[in-house]
Amino acid sequence: MGVRFPSPAFSSADVIRGFPPQYVADPPRILAGDSDYPLHRNYRLNKIMSTKIDNCANLVSKLIDTANAVILYLDAKGRVRLCNGKIEQLSGMKRDDIIGRRGLDILYPENGSNTRQQLFDAFIASALEHKQPNSFIGNIPDRSGDERTFCWNITPILSDTAQVEGVLLLGNDLTEIDGRATSVRNKDDMLRNIISSIKDYALFATNVEGKITYYAMGSTSLFGWGREEIIFRDSSVFYKTQEASSKLAFALEEVRRKGECEIEIEMVKKDGEALPVLLSINKLADTEGKLRGYIFIAKDITERKNMEYHLVQSEKLIAMGQLTAGLAHEINNPLFVISGRLDLLLEQKGIGKNQRQELGIIREQTDRIRVLVDRFLRFSRKSSSLKPDEIDINKLIENVLPLLSYHELHTKDITIRKGFAEGLPKVRVDINQLQEVFINLFLNAFQAMPDGGTLDIKTRNLDGNSVEIRISDSGYGISPENIKKIFTPFFTTKNEGTGLGLPICYNIIRNHNGTIDLKSEVGKGTTFIIKLPF
Amino acid sequence: MSYKVLVVDDEAPVRDLFVDLLKREKYETDTAVSGEEAIEKIKQNEFGVVLLDIKLSGMSGIETLKQIKEIRPQTAVIMITGFGYDEDLINKSRELGCSGYLGKNMPISQIMSNFKLFLKTVEDKKKFND
Repeated sequence: MGVRFPSPAFSSADVIRGFPPQYVADPPRILAGDSDYPLHRNYRLNKIMSTKIDNCANLVSKLIDTANAVILYLDAKGRVRLCNGKIEQLSGMKRDDIIGRRGLDILYPENGSNTRQQLFDAFIASALEHKQPNSFIGNIPDRSGDERTFCWNITPILSDTAQVEGVLLLGNDLTEIDGRATSVRNKDDMLRNIISSIKDYALFATNVEGKITYYAMGSTSLFGWGREEIIFRDSSVFYKTQEASSKLAFALEEVRRKGECEIEIEMVKKDGEALPVLLSINKLADTEGKLRGYIFIAKDITERKNMEYHLVQSEKLIAMGQLTAGLAHEINNPLFVISGRLDLLLEQKGIGKNQRQELGIIREQTDRIRVLVDRFLRFSRKSSSLKPDEIDINKLIENVLPLLSYHELHTKDITIRKGFAEGLPKVRVDINQLQEVFINLFLNAFQAMPDGGTLDIKTRNLDGNSVEIRISDSGYGISPENIKKIFTPFFTTKNEGTGLGLPICYNIIRNHNGTIDLKSEVGKGTTFIIKLPF
Repeated sequence: MSYKVLVVDDEAPVRDLFVDLLKREKYETDTAVSGEEAIEKIKQNEFGVVLLDIKLSGMSGIETLKQIKEIRPQTAVIMITGFGYDEDLINKSRELGCSGYLGKNMPISQIMSNFKLFLKTVEDKKKFND
């Protein structure tokens, strides 16, 4: 600010409000109550000039008084040399009592050493030190003790030789504008705090080219990327699949047309893990409405996706169960008759050796169908036939292992490692059904390791509510597209599989209000994770 | 000791197979195609054992069992089950006093040996009561 404001010069004793010096060459009178003030240099003004100046000074003083702002001029010692009527309203003090006192004592009357005063003082000191205007937003108490928010323009007043002579404080009352007595600075802080405290959401922005221009601190917990390592990178790091990229391109097109868009999309974390999110995209435009970039708000929907998956899976299983039960029942009778008649035939004497051999093959194959039908029936078994017992899951697994070891373990070089947590709470389960789950999972694990490997079985108390059982093999693993279908009935990758083993496991665990999930990596192995409530 | 056996099943091939299996073991047999027909026959004749399909069209197997036990409590009833695992029906028929059940998912040899085992149990019980 280029306003020069040398030693206050006033035209008359009653116009103590003062005015900028360009209107006053040399004041004819001394300021009231200001005996120690350095007096004026030049009294050689003629009467005519004096009158003109008096008029001018009146005008300026009126302007200052009617200005809708607190105006304080402090000298180099911080004492008030000039003020307007606003400060009288605010402090409840008379102007004559204000002049000559320390300005900040007037603004903060409670005590001389309060921190708010010190803060304001620091801002003023900084302005004076750098001889540059400064601004400060802070609350001051009004005459009734209520807090009011002011934005202060702090302007150092310099002499011709650039010496600091004083400082002009111009305070705009923001309280009414703000309405909530919150300073703009506080609001900024609040907003920053809100954004960084959001945990399930990530917030970032890109420019039109897709470079990340803003990345809120809270986004780190969702994406794993720190702010410094991701800022100004291309946002394509978030989208790995072809499907995601084209989905995004489509959404941005929509944003350009409508201003906003919301999509479900698969993003990628820093460690490469897929992250399903609900992504809200908004247009970022300048004041002329020109597109400058996009704001993205991502919400983690992993949990919901999992639930949806399990729901679809459950519905599929129920439908398959009904179909299978009906089918098995229909097959049961003719199969019973065929195998019964066959037995009667085989008992007859006088059948040739060749025919007996043929009948033997038919016998074998009908038996195979019978085993299959038996499995179908077990798959469709209702939960009402659960016979729960309180059992120790570690013991149950221990009892299952010997059932397998005989024919599987001895032909392959498989090591079993057990990591059983001690003192696990008992779970209420149907022992036979749970045994079937473990037999199925162990056999699957063995089949995935034809050349041997390690079977890891771990149990633990998950969160005080459920027991977690992890069964990991070091076999060939399952591809991502097969993982999606793994619990679907009749889906199998084995030549002789029925595709019912895992759906049966899924059904059984679900009937126990538990969950079964898996993680797998091709070439490394598969881990099944079962959680059972206790 | 030989029993006259009534085979109740709505499917002729199943009925015929049971009849042939029983004849081979020298049992005297009769058949009924429904629960209603079975009740009529039981009212008029005395059977040692009734082989009763648990899932009949028309009057249900369970209802038929209940009525048989009301008319002739001494008659042994063995249920034929198709649903190897439908434990609700099996429990229900056990409550109503059936002597056992034979699953159509079992091999024939097992069905016949189980059948004889059930009869022996029934006999022992009778002897004990006499």
